[in-house]
Amino acid sequence: MRPGVQRVMKTRSISRENLAALVADLVKGGTDVVAPARASDGKVDYRRVAKFDEITMNGGMPRRSLKEFFLPPTEALFSWKQKQADITLEPVPTTFGPAVVLGARPCDTAGVVVLDKVMGWDFRDELWFGRREATTIVSLACSGVDDSCFCRVVGLSPETEKGADLVLYPADGGFLAQPVTEKGEALISAHSARFVDAPAGDPGKATAGKEKKATAAAAAPATPGGAKSETVLPAGAKAGTAIPAGATAAPASVGTGGIGGPVDLGSVHDWLADHFEHPLWEAIAFRCHGCGACASVCPTCHCFDIVDEPEGVTEGTRRRNWDTCQEGRFTLHASGHNPRAQQNARFRQRVMHKFYIYPEKFGETLCTGCGRCVRDCPGGMDLPEIVAKIAALATKDSVRS
Amino acid sequence: MAETSNGAFEPKVTAFVCNWCTYTGADLAGTSRLQMSPNVRIIRLPCTGRIDPLFIVKAFERGADGVIVSGCHPADCHYTSGNYHARRRFALFLELAGFMGIDPKRITFSWVSASEGGKWRDVVNDTVTRVRELGPFTAYRELAGKP
Amino acid sequence: MQELRDLARKLLSDGAVGVVIGYEEGPHGVRPAFITDGADADKLIFDRRCVQNLATYLAPRRNHLGKLGKKALVVKGCDARAVAGLIRETQIKREDVVIIGVRCGGVLRSDLAIGNGGSGNGEGGIGGGGAGRPAAGAVATGAAAVALTPETVADRCAECDIREPHLADHLVGELPPAPPVSKRREELIAKIEAMTPGERWDFWQQELERCVLCHACREVCPMCFCERCVADKTVPQWLESSPTGRANFAWHLTRALHQAGRCCDCGECERACPADIPLGLLNRKLAQVVEERYEFRATDDPEIPAPVGSYKLNDTQEFIL
Repeated sequence: MRPGVQRVMKTRSISRENLAALVADLVKGGTDVVAPARASDGKVDYRRVAKFDEITMNGGMPRRSLKEFFLPPTEALFSWKQKQADITLEPVPTTFGPAVVLGARPCDTAGVVVLDKVMGWDFRDELWFGRREATTIVSLACSGVDDSCFCRVVGLSPETEKGADLVLYPADGGFLAQPVTEKGEALISAHSARFVDAPAGDPGKATAGKEKKATAAAAAPATPGGAKSETVLPAGAKAGTAIPAGATAAPASVGTGGIGGPVDLGSVHDWLADHFEHPLWEAIAFRCHGCGACASVCPTCHCFDIVDEPEGVTEGTRRRNWDTCQEGRFTLHASGHNPRAQQNARFRQRVMHKFYIYPEKFGETLCTGCGRCVRDCPGGMDLPEIVAKIAALATKDSVRS
Repeated sequence: MAETSNGAFEPKVTAFVCNWCTYTGADLAGTSRLQMSPNVRIIRLPCTGRIDPLFIVKAFERGADGVIVSGCHPADCHYTSGNYHARRRFALFLELAGFMGIDPKRITFSWVSASEGGKWRDVVNDTVTRVRELGPFTAYRELAGKP
Repeated sequence: MQELRDLARKLLSDGAVGVVIGYEEGPHGVRPAFITDGADADKLIFDRRCVQNLATYLAPRRNHLGKLGKKALVVKGCDARAVAGLIRETQIKREDVVIIGVRCGGVLRSDLAIGNGGSGNGEGGIGGGGAGRPAAGAVATGAAAVALTPETVADRCAECDIREPHLADHLVGELPPAPPVSKRREELIAKIEAMTPGERWDFWQQELERCVLCHACREVCPMCFCERCVADKTVPQWLESSPTGRANFAWHLTRALHQAGRCCDCGECERACPADIPLGLLNRKLAQVVEERYEFRATDDPEIPAPVGSYKLNDTQEFIL
């Protein structure tokens, strides 16, 4: 919440039963409800759900980020039909039915608002904003983090409100509900029977703030380097050293990510601006496979490819599909020349785009620290480790000068 | 998939055949005025060794309900060994496609020589009858719209 | 371990190689290491968490590794099959690589070996936890790592017949006892085979619907060595690039088929898949067929011809009319 920018909205609370009833109401009223739920293989994805029971509130980190509900892996832009010399184009709808995202991770909601910038700066992407406008995002403050999470490194936190219309905080028997935007407030008003004003005499923010602190403290016991508590490790998980022996990184402090707290992203930005050529890049991506798994799970990677998929000879569809700068084909010219011919150049692009190019152009870091790229990388690449390395280089440079 | 005037399902079958044996055999069936199902569209290729399994995938993508692949008998290949390579490739394809849920009854492999017009008629009629019983391959066609 | 480190140090200091590609401890578990300086050789480790197949770094398209000079590669028996495959199919020359074979007693399932083996798991925490899976960061190191049992051992270890790579310039380590055998994968394949075609179709559609055609399975595969993949060709376009159900089916069928008799069963495709699609089942099914019909098993002998691309006059043809 940014005081002075938006008026402070009254905190409410909602019981689990009422949240379940709210989901039922929404579904019955024709609203799509998207929430973390188990896929056929038992793992958690953001999925359309029919009832509350399917939702895993504060379960595992969903496999892919929330972005796919605003920028699907593939979507039709228009289709065409040809009859002799007549060609007809069939547009796709750019208005969408109402949807509510429930229980989104704060890093995922932040990613959506970061992407609003690129989707609307020179050309307003109708499909993106069509879905954005139709969707109310209800996030859930994280009550568990792991050592791949690094939201604090990029200036966010497990309970950041960025991108959310309404934030839920776990509380006894249910949740505190803090509206952040008019849309969030509207959701509450439309279903006011499901919510009650949060307890305590002080209106709104004060109570919420206090409760939130309590929640956050329970969620993220800040004992740097210490054994993780049961809150963080699920019961039954093997206790072990958080960081393998011999690792170069500093011990993790829970809730601050694998490399222990905020990094001066300004100095990272400035260093990147001056060091497009640097020995760091030469050695940065040996273990990188260039597979692009990182981009497909990333909440902020948004590059797409536009292709025509013909259906026989006389009809077809133009679609846009996710793409990734980590594959060599991404920059391959028709001539055969490839300006990013080697994987280290491609990985440099990933770092540059996230921490220099995008911040330069849009004032936002193109990373929300969800840690999926770290968890999913088959080559063991580690973005926060690399950012820390760059921050260290930047510090060294500033000391020298 | 096509329908006759009385609404019955008529399968669409794509046949990939080699130029030297099966195509000539099919030609013989025609010039001999043998009666056979008109549901088969023949695509002539130089050799079964030229038939990439992706051709079969493409045929299903474009609306075929069944596929025939046919060429020269072993030892008869115009290019000496094309059909031997094809034999291995299609054994693997058939096992994998079956494992992934394509009913193997939708696919026929056969050796039909230039003199076997009658065998070609039987291959065609058997395949069309089999595929007619299985019904249209709607499951494959529905994939196009997902998501 | 000391033997491995000493050997790496010697190879580097002698100038025999420019880089030793092995395993090291990363911030989140074991990861590939690129040792170019003998002083760093002590970073090298090898234990049952070393699941990665480093032979994938030999593929000619990994052009950024060229500047490191001649490579020495730490290989397990299963990885040696990939090196042999690359030699068999003339992608590399035997003399281009120094092979450090490690005697292997089996490795863990990758989700147990590497702490943060992917998102989408877990109950209370974020990445880890859940069904038999340790929380991220909770994977103990070295001797304290999860023990090998039929539940924790990698699927492919059940098929292992090369615990001591024959294709090696140097062999290090003592031969540990044979790993326990997991029947998980064979049972699942048998279960799928027992289904009707319709049920099999539904099973695979449920898995493949998560695919976004990122092609990570291809990029990490040591045996996907084509300079230009058929999936990337546009004129003519055989495989659609939009991840619809139709394109996903065509891609996975094609990928598996192109790996028939080529797959070394290292499991990298399945490990890399950010959607957790059980790609290993397709590869293993074809490996069974290839062995049954053509008496070929993935091997670290590069002289044995590949089963696809060769033939016998009396190959089985019961499926041909």
